[in-house]
Amino acid sequence: MTRESNERIVLAAGLRLPQARAGGAYAGEDTGHLGATLARELLARTAIDAGRLDEVIVGCVGPPHDQANVARVIALRAGVPRHVPAQTVARNCASGMQAVSAAVARIEAGRGDLFLCMGVEVMSAYPLIFNSRAVGFFAGLAKARSLGARLGAMARFRPAMLAPRIALVEGLTDPTNGLIMGKTAENLARDFALGREASDAYAVRSHERARDARERGRIATELVPHLPLAAKGRRPNTVSLDHDDGVRDDQSMQALGKLRPYFEKPDGVVTVGNACGITDGATALIVTTESRAHELGLEPLAAIRGHAWAGCDPARMGLGPVYSSAKALDEAGCTVADMGAIEINEAFAVQVLACQHAFASDEFARKELGRDRALGAIDDARLNPNGGAIAIGHPVGATGARLLLTLAHELRAGDHELGLATLCIGGGQGGAFVLERIAS
Amino acid sequence: MIHLTGLPEPEGAPAPGACVRIERPEPGLAIVYLDPPHRPKLAAFDVALLRDLDAAIDELAGDASLTGLVITGREPLSFAAGADVETIAKISDNELAGRFVREGQKLYQRIAALGKTSGGRVTTIAAVGGPVPGGACELALACDRIVFADDPKSRIGLPEVLLGIYPAWGGSQRLPRRIGVPAALGSILTGKLHRPKAALRMGLVDRLAHPAYLIRIASDIALGRMQCPYRGRRGWRALLIDKNPLAGAVIAHMARKDVLAKTKGHYPAPLAVLPLVVRAPRVSIEAGLELEAQNVLPLTSSPVASNLIQIFLGSEQAKKLSRIASGPDGELVDARKIERAAVIGAGVMGGGIAGLMAEKGLSVRLRDLDRKQLDAALAEQMTVIGKKRKQRRLEPHLADAAIDRLEITTEAVGFARCELAIEAVAEKLAVKRAVLSELAGMMAPDAILATNTSSLSVDAIAEGVPSPERVVGMHFFNPVRRMPLVEIVRGSATSDDVVARIAKLAVDLGKTPVITKDVAGFLVNRLLGPYLDEAIRLVESGVDPHEIDAALVRFGMPMGPCELIDEVGLDIASHAGASLAAAYGDRMRASRYLEPLIEAGQLGKKTGSGLFLWRGERGGKQKNAGRNPALSSRGGLSLGEDELVDRCVLALVNEAIRALDEEVVAGPAELDLGVIFGTGFAPFRGGPLRYADARGCDEIIGRLQALRGARDVVASGARLERFAPAELLIRTASEQGSFHPRT
Repeated sequence: MTRESNERIVLAAGLRLPQARAGGAYAGEDTGHLGATLARELLARTAIDAGRLDEVIVGCVGPPHDQANVARVIALRAGVPRHVPAQTVARNCASGMQAVSAAVARIEAGRGDLFLCMGVEVMSAYPLIFNSRAVGFFAGLAKARSLGARLGAMARFRPAMLAPRIALVEGLTDPTNGLIMGKTAENLARDFALGREASDAYAVRSHERARDARERGRIATELVPHLPLAAKGRRPNTVSLDHDDGVRDDQSMQALGKLRPYFEKPDGVVTVGNACGITDGATALIVTTESRAHELGLEPLAAIRGHAWAGCDPARMGLGPVYSSAKALDEAGCTVADMGAIEINEAFAVQVLACQHAFASDEFARKELGRDRALGAIDDARLNPNGGAIAIGHPVGATGARLLLTLAHELRAGDHELGLATLCIGGGQGGAFVLERIAS
Repeated sequence: MIHLTGLPEPEGAPAPGACVRIERPEPGLAIVYLDPPHRPKLAAFDVALLRDLDAAIDELAGDASLTGLVITGREPLSFAAGADVETIAKISDNELAGRFVREGQKLYQRIAALGKTSGGRVTTIAAVGGPVPGGACELALACDRIVFADDPKSRIGLPEVLLGIYPAWGGSQRLPRRIGVPAALGSILTGKLHRPKAALRMGLVDRLAHPAYLIRIASDIALGRMQCPYRGRRGWRALLIDKNPLAGAVIAHMARKDVLAKTKGHYPAPLAVLPLVVRAPRVSIEAGLELEAQNVLPLTSSPVASNLIQIFLGSEQAKKLSRIASGPDGELVDARKIERAAVIGAGVMGGGIAGLMAEKGLSVRLRDLDRKQLDAALAEQMTVIGKKRKQRRLEPHLADAAIDRLEITTEAVGFARCELAIEAVAEKLAVKRAVLSELAGMMAPDAILATNTSSLSVDAIAEGVPSPERVVGMHFFNPVRRMPLVEIVRGSATSDDVVARIAKLAVDLGKTPVITKDVAGFLVNRLLGPYLDEAIRLVESGVDPHEIDAALVRFGMPMGPCELIDEVGLDIASHAGASLAAAYGDRMRASRYLEPLIEAGQLGKKTGSGLFLWRGERGGKQKNAGRNPALSSRGGLSLGEDELVDRCVLALVNEAIRALDEEVVAGPAELDLGVIFGTGFAPFRGGPLRYADARGCDEIIGRLQALRGARDVVASGARLERFAPAELLIRTASEQGSFHPRT
């Protein structure tokens, strides 16, 4: 059973929580609760009978150790009936986008037509891990039975065992080349001769655009306030977060100029100010067919015109959007010039600028994409019109879905026919979706 | 054989022998199943079951091949509810009551005599689970070993004191022998039911088993294939404490003081059982049982026990309000459960209702226009649930779910799938109407629309709402989690199905429902009106509020009326009083004495001062720091304690009789139940109507007439009507009748 080929797949509804800097508002949050709260709200607003969902698909890079299939935990805690299956998907920074991609593939294959797709990440909860010497010490202690053996095992303790491995740092490092993500961005700075000043200027613009979008009420249309859980043993929080708290309203070149390069000292380009912040957040989307959406009484946000994944050099993973957008635009049968709005995830300012150069470069197109002409220049006005991850942060597993939600709303807000949402993926990949507006 | 002739037979009792099954799955083993067909939910020890169990024991006692005996219920989690309370309620004759006690003791003694512990030749095992209270627990105690089903539904203990009696089928003797005197006192004096782990820890049971393995494990133990050490008390502790008369005297003294502090002397049962428990390890079982039987008889015939038993039966009856006739043959079935609800208004009431629902398994969408109120309500839920998690009263995953299930929103979206909405917004007719109309537009046409109003008419609120048969009052009391009563207010259009579903919801939330007519104040607030106003008028006449409160606490109220006013809030109390006066006229006209305080913003505990000054944390526990000096009084009226009590209580009783006459609730039992659960009215007195019956109509009329003539009452004018004996009271008196049928 395959679906009728002419029917469009749509983002029927979507919602996200405010994104919070890690260790901040959501520091005590639990991935299951954060996801379930959002899923409940979206299901309530759409009045979808959760029992009729074909599956719940959640992208998450670092599910808590006690919620390995965090999608199932979220579904059950959100009150989705137990007969509805749930799968957690991962594709690093694109996990939230992968959730939508998985739903599209299932719908195209005729395996269901109603999916709740989410991206969820609580980076605050990433653990510190005992190093291998400490693990060996504890194993020895557990095995020791007699008093003597125990004392002996305890005597093998060394202070160095207390040095933890930081899951966050190790998670952001590519194990095939040893490069932490920031270093791959420094490679792009060299390749495209991009300097510190251009990067900082881009970062300031991201904050300005995010602030303006919030002030004109554009952001409020896509998010719902959230009262976060407090850490265990602490008093409950009493105030909801109702905005992305990473946006610095007064961000300036001067302030950014004071920051030292973070990954390559002293001459690097990337600082914590022109890179995305470590952040917690969640986004949810209802993915279905156009006719099913109407049956459910939903007015879809946007239709999916095409999407694609592509691989590239892991040491230059930041260019992933260029490779994947080329494929996605081909599939959708349109060009960069047709795109009214373009979301390129702001992992690093220099990485977005490098993508912008590569999109416009005939040489890059010939060498890397195997085509004669450049994909097309992206003017600044169309690119990330509401700011991006440098301001509002990058909850890794959630961002892919967030870009789609933001773009879908932007098509309406900016009166655009088509738009592109794309991001780079650690390990050397890119993902891209072309969305089109649905006439209402 | 035991002799049960003359004792009341239960309804639908089957032919002899049908209540107990004996199975012999293998040589040497017999399993006795309690399975009375006339009690499909849970067995209870009525005459039919006792008789059949006695016959079964007779048969087994004569079986020389028997080495192991298991006594169990029809299912692992369905053993028995203890001695049948309805049977106890029906026995009015002291001789019969004595027989019920002694024959039960005798039966359990026969079971004990079979067992190895008492030198018998059979290993007897009680394999029990689910609720195992009272007589069911006592039966288990008569066996050599108790294997208890490890399940959240399992509870075991001796709650008899809660009914004004005490365990008298050997429980007062066997429990202290098993778990020691201090633990037995802690259990019997409070009537506490223990969870499986706690029961094992204290040695009340010997082993836990998964319900599915209960019978297998009990059988293995009975036949000696599996060891099961006795977890009860032995050795030095027994010698040093339980068998030591000096220790016994000290323990008894402390326990007595504790009981008196808690019961204020109103409840005789704990005091009666206390010395029996303390002495149990030092006397023979026969002597102990004799004392147990002798001392319980005065209790069983006491009005306290009779009142408490009637309340218990009434609350069991109230739970059946959730049933509704269904199908062509009109069979009674549980009304459809509500899974998803909405609450509008996130104040103290709305937030409390929503939080309780979320804890009890409903998905709840709480709406308020003010985000701060919503945040506060959710934060309160996190606090309450966090505390329960910490105290292990909620398992972590259930605690998580209790928070997950509470959605908050400021917007009018997301209500389409809610089956019920309860509004708890400001007590303004126009606002409530607007809220219900908006909900009606967003929800299914058959979704129930409930109002938590306390002072407005449900019919008035329902006006203009499409399909008014789904509009109903669901009146919770503050604080929502603690107060056990819910008044279900039936409007003139409200359908039976809606009433039953709301009753089911109330029961699911752990509340006792009472259905009332749509009259001002419904039942509880209507009766509280004159009661509280009398207290205010006494203060006005110069009586010290401390004195008033002390008198009524001694009468048996959980809290004095003056403190109650401060707790409720002077503004709220005055608002409620005004709406009562508007509906009922002069007899409800409230004193204007508190108006200056209200104007000065002294509204009770919430502001730190009202009739009293309050010290301590706001919202936390506050201490009475004395009378509010801002209260002026007109002269120093001094009245005796009886007079103080009669003024307040008889004002309430007289109004209760009027409400009964107007059929505000179904009958006298419902009225008493509602007033006890809604106000805490001295439970041992059985409620205002049983109190009136106990004093007698003539005396009540006499006292009312006297109060009517009191100088300050005459001066106030309004109360002449309040103390005018209700018509039904006069009628009942002239017929020499009573409000409750005499037993």
